[in-house]
Amino acid sequence: MSSTADTLTTGSIPRRADNVETSPRISEDWLSLIVGLLIFALALAGIANVDLLGWAVTTSVWTDIGKALGPVSKAYASLGGVGSLLATYVALLVILSVTAFALKSDLKRFALAFTAVFWSSYASWIVGSYANFAAVTPADLQKFGLSWSLKLTNEGGYIFALIAGLFIANFLPRFAESIKAAVRPELYIKIAIVILGGFVAVTAAGKLNLASSLLLRGVAAIIEAYLIYWSVVYFVARKWFGFNREWAAPLASGISICGVAASIATGSAIRARPAIPVLVSSLVVIFAVVEVLILPVLAQTFLWQEPLVAGAWIGLAVKTDGAAVAGGGITEALILAKNAAEGIKYQPGWVLATTATVKVFIDIFIGVWAFILGYIWTNYVNPTNKDKAKASEIWQRFPKFILGFVATFAVGLYLALGTPTTIAAKVPAAMGEANSFRVIFFILTFFSIGLLSNFRTLWQEGIGKLAAVYVVSLFGFVVWVGLLISWLFFNGIHPPLAS
Amino acid sequence: MSQTKIGEELRNATAEPLLPIEKKLIGWSLGIGITLLVVLAVVNHLFPASL
Repeated sequence: MSSTADTLTTGSIPRRADNVETSPRISEDWLSLIVGLLIFALALAGIANVDLLGWAVTTSVWTDIGKALGPVSKAYASLGGVGSLLATYVALLVILSVTAFALKSDLKRFALAFTAVFWSSYASWIVGSYANFAAVTPADLQKFGLSWSLKLTNEGGYIFALIAGLFIANFLPRFAESIKAAVRPELYIKIAIVILGGFVAVTAAGKLNLASSLLLRGVAAIIEAYLIYWSVVYFVARKWFGFNREWAAPLASGISICGVAASIATGSAIRARPAIPVLVSSLVVIFAVVEVLILPVLAQTFLWQEPLVAGAWIGLAVKTDGAAVAGGGITEALILAKNAAEGIKYQPGWVLATTATVKVFIDIFIGVWAFILGYIWTNYVNPTNKDKAKASEIWQRFPKFILGFVATFAVGLYLALGTPTTIAAKVPAAMGEANSFRVIFFILTFFSIGLLSNFRTLWQEGIGKLAAVYVVSLFGFVVWVGLLISWLFFNGIHPPLAS
Repeated sequence: MSQTKIGEELRNATAEPLLPIEKKLIGWSLGIGITLLVVLAVVNHLFPASL
């Protein structure tokens, strides 16, 4: 982290906590939107009976490793599991190398780093799909001849990817440093969220009333994050812990809204030194890891009968888009598994859609909130500063990948509901192929988040006080108020049952 | 601001009492937030989600 902190004094190109330069050729937001839309568009070719993505790898629950992998479409069965995995690796390497070029990264370094990231994270995913970890129902146990299973579902592989990343970051720091060029959780999750829009649309099309109810309830999340969380955390940081304004505002945004994006936007809006929001972001990522390891298990234990409350809670409590949305995926897997074991089979997608809706709604207003803070700071707090906040900053700070999510959602919904049955019937399969990439980007996100979480950071002098604000705010307030609001607005609403 | 200087900076930071504008920001945010949540809760009660 010293390199990031030093940017203040050395004047080198500033880098974010996840190693992205802050002045690339094109922003990471636009890149994630482009890549997400590209995958979505390629998947849509399936509607015209042109299968362009069927070679993508998918992993089944396994006891025989030879049967673990396979292409997502039977049309590419001849590729076999290893062939589809290689094809997926090459395709992602090419696409992401283009994004690395646009982000002004060293291509050779990125390619080597991505190779390590991809194979390490996908190996973790395969391990997580081992039947003793992933099998859920008694029928599954019987099928694999097992007497026990952790019942994590194969999406428990996300946890394995996270743990693998954490292990490397904390016990093999030199290796972690050497592959840092491809450790970009924000890029990966934003691409995944753009793709997710189409998948959510297909899910929502089946139950439009329920979907619109969820959207309306997402408004509560905005109010909670910006108006309730922010003001309380800012007060705690300023009054109880004695932080000055330059530290307290990015810290409040990081803990309340969305760790990385919001703290950087706030820091920039109040004209704080760049190192401060970067430092706050690093702390947010570490705490997000702790939350992702704990909260889904708590949700499964205590909220399994209220799946959407759990989904909304994860979206409100876990900071950073990556950890929140991916945490929603784990929560869904765990809760659906628990319900399946009790004989209740819910349609998949709804818990994750709730988490994503809550998170996307919150993200939309980052630019507006940063402008409000910038206006107050440049006009009232530091009125001598001539660098006044401008309304155009709202658009500059708007997370552009959300446009991609909205676009894929709208197109997916139109195709599922507004086209003849012959076309509409092919949409779920097409979105299923796109969704296999969403899963892979989730895996990359989890592994990357783990890799960024060097817990030694917490032992740095001075970090303890920042961490203390985080602990007090998160576990003393954010988590519980999030639970209360989620319960208030989502209890009694259940996902449709699987047919 | 190297790693060790973070601690030093935080230790040496001069106290900044809450300005009236900060108090207003906190107060108005909480007030508007709680009011809007109550309104939404009422709407949620009157128009419950349906499948």
